Amino acid sequence: MSADAKEILKAARGQGTSSLDEPAGKELLASFGIRVPASRVVQGAAGLPEAIATLRPPYVLKVVSAEVIHKSDFGAVRVGLKNLAAVEQALAEIDTALNAKGIVAQRWLIEEMAASGLEVVIGGVVDPEFGPMIMTGLGGVFVEVMKDVSFRICPITRLDAVEMLAELRGAALFHGARGRTPVSTDTIIEVLLKIGGENGLLTRNADEIAEIDINPLIVTPDSATAVDARFILQRNMERG
Amino acid sequence: MSVSASNAASFNALFAPSTIAVVGASATSVSGGNRFIRHLKAFGYAGRIFPIHPSAAEIEGMPAFTSVSAAPEAIDYAYVAVSAPQVPPLLRSFSGKVRVAQVMSSGFSESSGGHELEHELVRAAREANVRVIGPNCLGVYSPRARVTFTERTTDEAGSVGIVCQSGGLGVDIIRRGQNKGVRFSGLVTVGNCADVRPYELLEYFLASSETSVIGLYLEGAGDGRKLFEILRAAKARKPVVILKGGRTGQGRRAAASHTGALAGSDNGWKALSAQTGAVLVDELDTFLDALLAFQSLPPRVAAAKRAVLFGNGGGASVLGTDALARAGFDVAPFEAGVAAKLQTLKLPAGSSVLNPIDLPAGALQQDEGRAAEAIFDTIAEAGETDVLVMHVNMTVVLSFRHVDMLGNLMNAILRVKSRDRSGMHVVLVLRSDGDPDIEGPKREYRRRAVAAGLPVFDELTSAAEALACVRHFETFRARAAKNT
Repeated sequence: MSADAKEILKAARGQGTSSLDEPAGKELLASFGIRVPASRVVQGAAGLPEAIATLRPPYVLKVVSAEVIHKSDFGAVRVGLKNLAAVEQALAEIDTALNAKGIVAQRWLIEEMAASGLEVVIGGVVDPEFGPMIMTGLGGVFVEVMKDVSFRICPITRLDAVEMLAELRGAALFHGARGRTPVSTDTIIEVLLKIGGENGLLTRNADEIAEIDINPLIVTPDSATAVDARFILQRNMERG
Repeated sequence: MSVSASNAASFNALFAPSTIAVVGASATSVSGGNRFIRHLKAFGYAGRIFPIHPSAAEIEGMPAFTSVSAAPEAIDYAYVAVSAPQVPPLLRSFSGKVRVAQVMSSGFSESSGGHELEHELVRAAREANVRVIGPNCLGVYSPRARVTFTERTTDEAGSVGIVCQSGGLGVDIIRRGQNKGVRFSGLVTVGNCADVRPYELLEYFLASSETSVIGLYLEGAGDGRKLFEILRAAKARKPVVILKGGRTGQGRRAAASHTGALAGSDNGWKALSAQTGAVLVDELDTFLDALLAFQSLPPRVAAAKRAVLFGNGGGASVLGTDALARAGFDVAPFEAGVAAKLQTLKLPAGSSVLNPIDLPAGALQQDEGRAAEAIFDTIAEAGETDVLVMHVNMTVVLSFRHVDMLGNLMNAILRVKSRDRSGMHVVLVLRSDGDPDIEGPKREYRRRAVAAGLPVFDELTSAAEALACVRHFETFRARAAKNT
């Protein structure tokens, strides 16, 4: 599986890009056994009927572009699309909005929409002092406003992963605080290990990857799905 | 822990040199080299000292030699305090004759334009096959070998080994540390660490049987990953306390992702502490208090949690309870059986035998401290206490001039400690008002207590923080044991 990862990273380096687009990022996660939504990439509206036939509704539609990195700022993500007609209409609307900004979308990502659950963030960074480090926190205000995150130096052990979750101030939310359904911390721990464990994606590829954001990872009582993923690549391009 | 044979030999020579060469002592004035020779003599260094000087026949009353190669014996440790440009050629002249050299001279990478000279120093050291500590440092302190770089250092050897990246702070660590009761196996100031890196000395202390507690003062960047790997492999065999300067530094490249923006070097040090059991502290007194606690208190197998507070002064008890609770300890009421036993001790009015136990000074002294001893015994026998903190308001206690109240109390607690099988941590807090007639006796009581294995702190908050450091280490070991 890491052979796939090397190929994906090699291809990106070949194109001279500084980040992976979302389909490539998700392919990379999937190659390490991390669950991502079933998806297809299309060039435009013409490809939609065939793509949708293989996916279960509701759907999510996103523009694929290295530039449109904050997709929500452009209204370039649409969720809860029930059928082909809704997807076609969404694509047409986004395309018009982008064209008005002088952007021509080349590729589109159409995905099965993940079941709702608790939003978790998992990140990775290659620190100049400590090398690869992994981070986790709860999504939304917990990470963005309260900076309620925990870091560990890779490679992490299972115990490290358990303690990362336990030390979050919002950890009670995993266990069903405020009337919520408890979610599977085991599946989060598995994702942490697949990113930052001994043979993890970041641990093994710290020479290629500079930063990772999986935001959000949607966690339910029995699964954890990476719904969005960003990979920033190391800037040194001359390695071969 | 693996230390290469050559590193072990170099660092043994550093901490226990049989022969010392001093380069940079003056025949006509008093320079750093002269002071070092005087410190060595005053400290009772028993090995041979060889002053090196191009022309003088004698320095500090000892025959001088024109070069290290002219000295009649191989040199274990060379003290170098000559001007920076002279250092690289000097190191080359050490080839085959010197095991380890420490370069005090400044004017290297710490000053603008000094980087190239520091590279040259490293090249010279490698060519001469001499390990070099420094440059830009103050020296080494090793009480067993009677070696010291500064004055008024105790010759009582201990078990605490220190690597210090600042010379001046190294003096603070020894002098303030020894006044607190910390006793050192060795302390080395490492300055710019051009050749020997702090992690190599950490490996040495981890392996050395003379060192059981390790303290690191680090600043600047560079060794984090290596320290992490060494500490993780060491599996918390010895307590390691890290005082890291510059953790608030903002010197991080602009990050492109959320994670990158949230990551700072502080996260790395905190992660290292969580993943290795090393204790991370923010300031010098906490560093020294933690080292003192580790020096005195054998780690418990189950991490300490339940604390009993015993002393005179209601306000101090309340604040002390808060401090212990903030540090993560439970100061909970006694179980019914223990409470009943304590009630039968017939203590004077004004006493409270709930937890915290608050006794007026008169009650502390009942039957020359035997009442207090009965309380300690009851607590120890119940086996429900992990930490016993005795705090004393010295101003009040010393006003009872006809009795040695504190001496009696200390003897009582030490007798209980020697009988105790529960491994409870016992610590003493001596609270003073700063008057000379309180500080003097406090010093003496502190000395006696620490010598008997009872760590002493100035305030309840300091005791609570030091105990929290011990608990961090114990918790790490307990979890690691459970998960292997």
